[in-house]
Amino acid sequence: MKKNLFSLLSALVLVSLMLAACGPAVTATEAPAAATEAPAAATEAPAAATEAPTAEPTAIPDVPVATFDGTTLSVPECGNGYTGLIKSVAATDASTVTFTLCRPDPAFLSKIAFSPFAIYSSDWLDSTYANGTRNSEGLEKPVGTGPYMVSEWKRGESVTFVKNPTFWGEPAKADTLVFRWSSESAARLLELQSGTVDGIDNIGPDDFAIVQADSNLQIAIRPALNIFYVGMTNTFKPFDNVKVRQAIAMGIDRQRIVDTFYPAGSEVATHFTPCAIPNGCVGDKWYDFDATAAKALLAEAGFPDGFKTKLFYRDVVRGYLPQVGNVAQDIQAQLKANLNIDAEIVVMESGAFIEESGAGRLDGLYLLGWGADYPHITNFLDYHFGEANGQFGTTFPEIYNNLVEGAQIADPAAAEPIYVEANNKIRELVPMIPIAHGGSATAYRADVTTPQASPLTNETFAVSAPGDRSVFVWMQNAEPISMFCADESDGESLRACEQVMQSLYAYEVNGTAVEPALATSCEPNADLTVYVCTLRQDITFSDGSAFDSADVVATFNMGLNIAAPTHAGNTNLWEYYDYLWGLMKKPGGQ
Amino acid sequence: MDQEIKIATLDAEGISLKSVSLWQVTWKRLFRRRSAVVGMIVLGILVLIALTAQWIAPYDPLKVLIGVEKVKQRQAPCIHLLGCPADQPEHIVGIDGNVRDEFSRLLYGTRVSLWIGLSTVTFAIVIGTVLGALSGYFGGWVDTVIMRVMDVLLAFPSLLLAIAIVTVLGPGLINALLAIGIVSIPSYARVVRASVLSVREMDFVSATRALGGSDFQILFGRILPNALTPLIVQGTLGIATAILDAAALSFLGLGAQPPTPEWGAMLGSERNQVFSAPHLVFYPGLAIMITVLAFNLLGDGLRDALDPRLAHGG
Repeated sequence: MKKNLFSLLSALVLVSLMLAACGPAVTATEAPAAATEAPAAATEAPAAATEAPTAEPTAIPDVPVATFDGTTLSVPECGNGYTGLIKSVAATDASTVTFTLCRPDPAFLSKIAFSPFAIYSSDWLDSTYANGTRNSEGLEKPVGTGPYMVSEWKRGESVTFVKNPTFWGEPAKADTLVFRWSSESAARLLELQSGTVDGIDNIGPDDFAIVQADSNLQIAIRPALNIFYVGMTNTFKPFDNVKVRQAIAMGIDRQRIVDTFYPAGSEVATHFTPCAIPNGCVGDKWYDFDATAAKALLAEAGFPDGFKTKLFYRDVVRGYLPQVGNVAQDIQAQLKANLNIDAEIVVMESGAFIEESGAGRLDGLYLLGWGADYPHITNFLDYHFGEANGQFGTTFPEIYNNLVEGAQIADPAAAEPIYVEANNKIRELVPMIPIAHGGSATAYRADVTTPQASPLTNETFAVSAPGDRSVFVWMQNAEPISMFCADESDGESLRACEQVMQSLYAYEVNGTAVEPALATSCEPNADLTVYVCTLRQDITFSDGSAFDSADVVATFNMGLNIAAPTHAGNTNLWEYYDYLWGLMKKPGGQ
Repeated sequence: MDQEIKIATLDAEGISLKSVSLWQVTWKRLFRRRSAVVGMIVLGILVLIALTAQWIAPYDPLKVLIGVEKVKQRQAPCIHLLGCPADQPEHIVGIDGNVRDEFSRLLYGTRVSLWIGLSTVTFAIVIGTVLGALSGYFGGWVDTVIMRVMDVLLAFPSLLLAIAIVTVLGPGLINALLAIGIVSIPSYARVVRASVLSVREMDFVSATRALGGSDFQILFGRILPNALTPLIVQGTLGIATAILDAAALSFLGLGAQPPTPEWGAMLGSERNQVFSAPHLVFYPGLAIMITVLAFNLLGDGLRDALDPRLAHGG
């Protein structure tokens, strides 16, 4: 009987062995992949650590160059190591601020209207930082001049805004505004259908028909001012080889991705910049899909049998990437089928993903995109391919020299040949692969007035009334990271800030044109290097302090002057201040 | 239990005394339980599917059908017998979010799930038995150390602990299996320790010791084989839990990585489409349910069949 018992046990072990043996044999692609996962994950951290110095070669800290005396923020000279755009910001009198630029900037008003450059009160800036970063008050309760002010932020749950009683413009339609979030489009739609929220962002591609058929709901289509791209960091092998990059560019069937995974209104990207933007799609169109040529090119580059890499993404829905998981799996399948590249999918937390990709530390392909902040080609090309951006590894002078030149010409027609050249160089050098411009939509309950789907994703809810209710509940994809938006770049955070904060100019509701906000006008000189802004008078911040030109200068001092004690943010990346204006510093050692 | 049990059985010729082994009795009792039989049949079918998946699956589970057939992403099931037009390709549980045949993925998922269940439980039983046996046999500080460590492990909610382990090791099927294996060790260790404690005082153990048997011989040759009954029950039920836990980890993106056809992962990647494409959530869920139910039915049946106190109830 002992024998029986053992035979039963051994039968059990045998069956499990058989299954174990069968498993890897048939699921051949997955078992080894899973097995290699652990060491890969283990080496990741040291790899990132050793790569950090190569990604940022300047070991010597940057040197601040700005001087600030309370009314004027200025740098002694343009050039000589300082690459920023702003020479000085001066409070000429209490209601006039003069911006002097190092180079002509045709997009100045479009930039100044952008929400990271919203104006803070100088007292508030002085009182909300500690040890080089903003304190919790500074990160969660900004004080601005906008129609709403932050009442409560329940982390992980909701942000509640209340009407700002001292707002200078037309008061907000709803007394209370609530921001909630859910990364699941199905969950967002369910909340909308059940009436617990008044508006939702990014309805799922499959839900367009459902919303359109529902008489209790209305849909607002957001024009595609975005780009979804597959990024690579050319400081990692094998992406340092331009032929590998070109092979991948040719080996992905982008039409199939758009047809299968994108909603109506989306299109395959012929260029990095959408065609709606002047000069966006001049120059040669992107490579046609050609698996054979791609395979040949990869073989020429020394990888006839493909290679192993990783495919990073964050599981966050964006207008440019509505079905991120499925697109990632499809690209994985295409890389395998067309180029025999084994890409292991790695899902990252959103904040970590942005930080790692932005610093050029991802040693594989990554799925990321860009939505326009202001409708100018510099917002697309200069941000991504400018000299300072290390997200694709080493930057290419062939590209960025054209961009510097193009940014000094106000007339789009005159700048066209330069952008033809820039676009052609991007196509030739393939720092990344543009895939699609994704159409997206918001949905609202039918009784919500002025339904918004801003092409810049900066909906201003103060102008929308939620029927006869006093609370407007908005549900977006994710929680804001912080509400100190001078140092944020994430759209979910910026939208929250936009309800509270105002810049000198603003974008029109549902559009891209700029209109005066805290300034009544900003007049440029003839060669677009000096902008004189006249400020709105007799208005106050929501804490009661008066708004004047000193606040504007203090705000730019906070954002640009790396020596200022108030230059303290959330992560201190200062992405938009750095990319759109350039921080006031020069490399150490000069 | 080492002795043969004399049981009176009634046959055509009348009452006679027959010598029947415990295992024969168990089998008989097991077959008399309808639920256990159902569990065994379902399990048999699942094992058959797992072993023959590559022949019975109509498509390669990883094959993307874009451009191959005229199908759309997340297309609803098309069954010709139920009136689906004959010019459309047949996909009896529809198309998934990446335009692959869901049915083939479900079939291959059986293989992954059974493999997960058996391998984790085998791992946990082996380690748990050794720990439990040492602890129960030697007692004293060995017992204290091992059982306190097991208590610590038991103090964590098992799924939470598994998530923590996977977070440290990195996501992936193998790491998930390891995590679930580690998490389920304490229950086996406890079961084995309890049986060892009761068996080691029995006469035949004392006899072996008197004959000069070594600790190793006594423990693995005498005590363990007689302490295995509860372990078998616990193991069968444990497979169900392991499959569930693995599906949960995969659902959360910590277990099987795409494009592996694992039920939990399939469910997780399509959870957003619960209203627009319910078939992609329903069928993987159903598959998990059936498998877990089969193991539970069998486990319950085994427990009853192996329990001498329930001999008359059987």
